[in-house]
Amino acid sequence: MTELTRGTWADAGSSLDFKTGSWRSTQRPVHVHSKAPCHATCPAGEDQQAWFAHLQLGHVEEAWRSLVAANPMPGVTGRVCPHPCETACNRTEVDGALAIHNVERWLGDEAVAKGWDYPVAPPADDAPTVAIVGAGPAGLSAAYHCVRLGMKAEIFETLPEAGGLLRMGIPPTRLPRNVLDAELNRVLDLPGITLNLRQRLGRDMTLEDLRERFAAVMLSPGCEMSKPWSVHGAVPPDLHEGLHLLQEFYDHGVLPDAAKGDVIVHGGGNTAMDICRIMMRAGAKSVTLITASGLPGPDTAPDDVINVVPRELEEALEEGLTIIEHATVGRLIMKGSKIKGVEIVSLKKEKGPDGRKRRVEFTGTERVVSVDMVVPCVGEQVDPEAFEGYIDGAYFSPDNPYGRIADRVYALGDARGHRGTVAAAIGDGRIAAEAVAAELAGADDPVADDRPEMSYDGLNTAYYAGSSRVSVAKLPVSERTFEAEIEGGISRAEALAEAQRCLSCGNCLACDNCWTMCPDNAVIKTAELASDGSHYVFDYDYCKGCGLCVQECPTGYIQSVPETS
Amino acid sequence: MAQDSENSKRLTELRMKHGRPPASPSEPRAERAETLREAQPRFRGLESGHRACQGCGEALAARLVTESAGPDVMVANATGCLEVFSTPWPQTAWRVPWIHSLFENAPAVASGMEAAMKAKGKNTKVLAFGGDGGTYDIGFQALSGMLERHHNVLYVTYDNEAYMNTGIQRSSSTPHAATTTTSPAGKERMGKRHLKKDLLSIIAAHHIPYAASASVAYPQDLQRKVRYAMGVEGPTFLVIHSPCPLGWRHDSALTVEVARRAVQCGLFPLVELDRGALTNIMPIREPRPVSDYLELQGRFAHLFNKNDYRAQEELDHLQALADHNIEIYGLRGEGVDPIDSTGMSHVHRGGPLAGRN
Repeated sequence: MTELTRGTWADAGSSLDFKTGSWRSTQRPVHVHSKAPCHATCPAGEDQQAWFAHLQLGHVEEAWRSLVAANPMPGVTGRVCPHPCETACNRTEVDGALAIHNVERWLGDEAVAKGWDYPVAPPADDAPTVAIVGAGPAGLSAAYHCVRLGMKAEIFETLPEAGGLLRMGIPPTRLPRNVLDAELNRVLDLPGITLNLRQRLGRDMTLEDLRERFAAVMLSPGCEMSKPWSVHGAVPPDLHEGLHLLQEFYDHGVLPDAAKGDVIVHGGGNTAMDICRIMMRAGAKSVTLITASGLPGPDTAPDDVINVVPRELEEALEEGLTIIEHATVGRLIMKGSKIKGVEIVSLKKEKGPDGRKRRVEFTGTERVVSVDMVVPCVGEQVDPEAFEGYIDGAYFSPDNPYGRIADRVYALGDARGHRGTVAAAIGDGRIAAEAVAAELAGADDPVADDRPEMSYDGLNTAYYAGSSRVSVAKLPVSERTFEAEIEGGISRAEALAEAQRCLSCGNCLACDNCWTMCPDNAVIKTAELASDGSHYVFDYDYCKGCGLCVQECPTGYIQSVPETS
Repeated sequence: MAQDSENSKRLTELRMKHGRPPASPSEPRAERAETLREAQPRFRGLESGHRACQGCGEALAARLVTESAGPDVMVANATGCLEVFSTPWPQTAWRVPWIHSLFENAPAVASGMEAAMKAKGKNTKVLAFGGDGGTYDIGFQALSGMLERHHNVLYVTYDNEAYMNTGIQRSSSTPHAATTTTSPAGKERMGKRHLKKDLLSIIAAHHIPYAASASVAYPQDLQRKVRYAMGVEGPTFLVIHSPCPLGWRHDSALTVEVARRAVQCGLFPLVELDRGALTNIMPIREPRPVSDYLELQGRFAHLFNKNDYRAQEELDHLQALADHNIEIYGLRGEGVDPIDSTGMSHVHRGGPLAGRN
């Protein structure tokens, strides 16, 4: 009898019945959302990669909404921030970092011009109210984030105008006042924010009052007291400290007469830089900055570099500022009560026997220069008067990232010391508001985003087109005044083109590489977003674990992990 | 007109069968909800579950080809890896009609299929697939005959540069100086003694309407060539550079990287020929040294032996071959071109079709 084998009658089965996923022995591909370096280094906690992703699709308003989820004042930070995001940008290794601050500034201005609404809902009538002391960047950010999280905020400000350091410490050449006012007023106009001007803590109310009346108290008084300065105990009688000089100038537009002569500024921060530039513009015969730090250069250690915004330093040097690095004022030479000269001595910060850095002055390097004015800008500290019992030393020093210094009392911004940037103050405001919301709800403290950071080595740069950074016009030195903004803006087209340069580090670009290049058809594309936010799903039934998609993913979003079980 | 509606009916049937979304609202939908796999926006001609090795360049190339050629196609497959890994009895990974007969006769079988389709008045396109062994060596005379008789067939050869299925024996497509089990590098020889056969020139000599080379490193370029060939009436020929991690001895993750470097160094030029004349090339923006390509592969490891004077000589020889390709095909680009060997790879958010309607 003829026997029929299966092959003579059976339909062919589909190879889908054979799960090649069992071949995977050691590694499997997974989607990993890493932090882009810009996001990881942003003191304000912005996710630049996320908002650039919206811009890449041409969705400008969504980009702004994504941005203001962390930072309500992009028009301000786009102008004043030293942008550590750009320093960290992985594109630096290819053809120059993205012009993040320029695009941020454009987005901020665009939102003001178009009147886009902040993505916040009016808080409920019975929502808890948070008292905020100080209407600087930290206080404003805290107020905004309180509203965003469903709370109300009441701000107490000593001065007749809100803005804090943004108004009192930053020259209009960097931050024009109309830009500041426009963005700041939009934040203050949000429902749920009350601003009380000319109210000083310690004079009009006490901290204990506030603690009693409000659900929580946030302290962002800034640093308004200059640190004591003297040269071996000697202080000139007509001493003008940098920050006060700056504030005098912004308020009244005048500088002391001595500022017409030879001026020495002693310090190494942004205040010092601003005062130097204002004096040069006001007609000082010469301005010299004496700083204990070094100028940026290949031989300068990162912790030794002068702590100013790089573009400010660049502009100051363009304008003819002389800087004496690694030096200090060793002696004041007086004639009567007038200062006639200073002795400059070289120094370096070197490690002492206990391992801590200290200043070493080098005997034999003294030289005397004749000057008419010495302006110390050696830093500021919190005026401790109203904070007795809460502050110990020059700054608040909370032992947690939220800034909590007592039950329902938080300290934010410059008053915490070692912050130094507007962005850090804005970040403090957000983190504190989140912590307050959690504290009031009786929940645990919010956890920090501890995703890994995507480094340049994790990208596959074969997939990125080269394109150079947008060039931004700057006012020529001869046309710079006290008012005109020095750095120019960029156009919509330039901003959108710049966005296309974003490498989307660590986050899916939806480029289809994994879907196109899987030899085993084991990457499935989905019309809707998959649960991890991408459009792709690994079919582990068939994935053989070859690693091709891991290798060819441009952004490092696909990574290999050891096979478990 | 009648022919058109007949075709459209056939396409609808195929769409139903393969779970593709209907082309218009008037077409009936599949009866049950689609699985994620079925709902993918592409034709799945070569389905998962095939037995190709990890990182197989040939499986990738065959998937890309059927994806852009299908679904109204039928395939004649020569003996080789592709035939073996895609159809282990009693299963098949193909979702198009597919036949395997012998090593040497895929073009002859395809010729017959094409004649039969013609006799039945059908427009189903016939594809013939073969490896480099089945094309450059064993099926060569059948291929030549098929081209000469001007059959309307797209012949695709997946060039992995040796007989991989039987254990990495040299073929006439194996590049000079590569180690295979039958051309081992050692005291006597530095790998394969002879040169890679310039098959494309031989094909061009048949004056067929279209012949081209493609690489898995450039899927969009590859698929464009397939679509172009599908639209040509008459014999068309495609050779696709398909790295073999096992035979070339490189990491399975590097398949595309290896293929990309082969193109960028000039050893595998991407060209198109119409009626035997060179009509298009993929320019190389900045030619890479051949060592960039060779160093990734174990089959060329002996060329990096610092103690062997022949190693440098062979490296220089391969560099000269690459330079020769660049010169005779004019591969050196003139500045930045979005579709040169660098620009063609570039991606943007939303995939290759983003921003187009």
